Amino acid sequence: MLAATVFACLLFFLMLVGLYIRASPILSIVPITDLLFSSVWGPSDGKFGFLPFIMGTLWVTGLATIIAVPISLLSSIYLSEYAGNRLRNAVKPLIDLLAGIPSVVYGLWGVLAVVPFIKNTLAPALGVETIGGYGILAGGIVLSIMVFPIIISVTGEVLRSVSQDMREVSLSLGATKWQTIKHVVLRKARPGIFAAIVLGFSRAFGETMAVLMVVGNVAKVPTSVFDPAYPLPALIANTFGEMMSIPLYDSAILLAALMLLIVVLIFNILARMVLIKIERGVI
Amino acid sequence: MSETHIQIENVNAYYGRTHSLKNISVQIPKKQITAIIGPSGCGKSTLLKCMNRLIDLTDGVTYSGKILIDNEDIFDRKTDIVDIRKKMGLLAQRPIPLPMSIYENIAYGPKIHGLKKKPDLDAIVEKYLKLVGLWEEVKDRLNSPASQLSLGQQQRLCLARGLAVEPEIILCDEPTSALDPVSSQYIEQQLLKLKNDYTIVIVTHNIHQAMRLADYVIHLYLGEVVEHGLSNDVFENPKEERTRAYINGTFSTELKIDSESDLKGQLCPFNFVYAKQALHNLEDGKILKLIVDDPIAVTEVPRGMEADGHKVLIVKQINKTDWEIVIQK
Repeated sequence: MLAATVFACLLFFLMLVGLYIRASPILSIVPITDLLFSSVWGPSDGKFGFLPFIMGTLWVTGLATIIAVPISLLSSIYLSEYAGNRLRNAVKPLIDLLAGIPSVVYGLWGVLAVVPFIKNTLAPALGVETIGGYGILAGGIVLSIMVFPIIISVTGEVLRSVSQDMREVSLSLGATKWQTIKHVVLRKARPGIFAAIVLGFSRAFGETMAVLMVVGNVAKVPTSVFDPAYPLPALIANTFGEMMSIPLYDSAILLAALMLLIVVLIFNILARMVLIKIERGVI
Repeated sequence: MSETHIQIENVNAYYGRTHSLKNISVQIPKKQITAIIGPSGCGKSTLLKCMNRLIDLTDGVTYSGKILIDNEDIFDRKTDIVDIRKKMGLLAQRPIPLPMSIYENIAYGPKIHGLKKKPDLDAIVEKYLKLVGLWEEVKDRLNSPASQLSLGQQQRLCLARGLAVEPEIILCDEPTSALDPVSSQYIEQQLLKLKNDYTIVIVTHNIHQAMRLADYVIHLYLGEVVEHGLSNDVFENPKEERTRAYINGTFSTELKIDSESDLKGQLCPFNFVYAKQALHNLEDGKILKLIVDDPIAVTEVPRGMEADGHKVLIVKQINKTDWEIVIQK
């Protein structure tokens, strides 16, 4: 049993080391600044600029967060502060269910509902060109819905951890319910809400399948939400195993995986640290 | 009895099916201290929560009856509860600072009631911190988090915060139960000072505290009013057997003191040694009265005596500097 546990714990580090070893050939040939900040992606010419993919990831993740945060915060506040017990108990399993849906299903839903909506309704209404509706906007919308359950449930926990006494104090001073929520509850819960958003963000960052299906996958630095993009996870999923005859290609892809792993790891550690502090009552 | 400030008429409250307040009808006098006493679970806190309708926050509570404050029924759904709560400061069981700075804690109430100008807020913060004797201790760190203060300081801050919205009534729910003796003493002194300007209702299970503070006493037992009246009448000559039993249970009014020892001016651990000697000279069951003026002795002597197997009957402050400790061997 101990061996199994040690093995499970070691897996992560094995993965990290493995990725690093496989990515090191490209790191020793191409300077890291070129890798990160060049926007030329031409593996057959030996050009490995990751900027389009990094920017694609940031755009999609950023947009998803911008859509998801206000909606999930408001619904979380409603559920924990205003809704009755019965409603809360009825809605919670539904939200948890959202988290359990396979991401390929989200992707299909994006292709069948979101992409046509952008192509036929939204883009013509705004007078912009899209490539068939595929792009950052579609990816952001699909991704934001996948992030909802995380932010809603973690924020809900955090709001419930604010003691009832604190609310009573504010109300007894003659504050209205909304003033109490705004000035006292949300203030007390701020670090926790931050952690909830970061957790959601890190899920969005690494999400692959659903995004890959709707985002367009064009290796160019995007300039608007209607542009297509090519996030890092999509790059890895689409190209690994193919074109391996091109020198350094597999090394470049593994470097992309390493970058993802490290970024998501940092996000997670940050968020967990804040949540642990809240549980211990430090914040 | 002086003018009535809060008139409670036929108040009933239920938690689910539990009938926790049964037909309560009492009057609370203006600008006096009214103590609500009774054992745990007798409905003291529920009654207090009815007065500012914080009871609304508890799930599954129903209540009926009338509570009139300035002839306005606060149970009436048409009454603006925010306005009512503004008239009442609340001092809770343990200090609950809001998650903000010392300054903002005091300014919070006035701010939400529309006061915006910084000089006005500054003046209010200073005024009320001075009123509770906290100004000198915190004036250099008004912007540090309120949670960094000691518990006793926090409770005074909470009192000042409640006063800053200029209430007419102060509701206290066992306000010293989480505090050390010295801080408790300080809060009690504040309350005695404040009763000149405010109507104070204090819920307490500490009979001594009720005796020290109250002008008027309401004794609740299992959700019913057993007895209410002027403090002197209720404590010295209770009409009801249950009140007498409750008071005697925690405090014997007629203790026969067998020996007295004045330990004023003695410091720890000498006062403890002397107390032990005095007790040593007594027979089992006899009662010794000590007078001490060292604040450490107030907590340490009773603790030590109990550790030695003696029974501590009374610990009470008798004047500004002196405390009385009564021990049975």
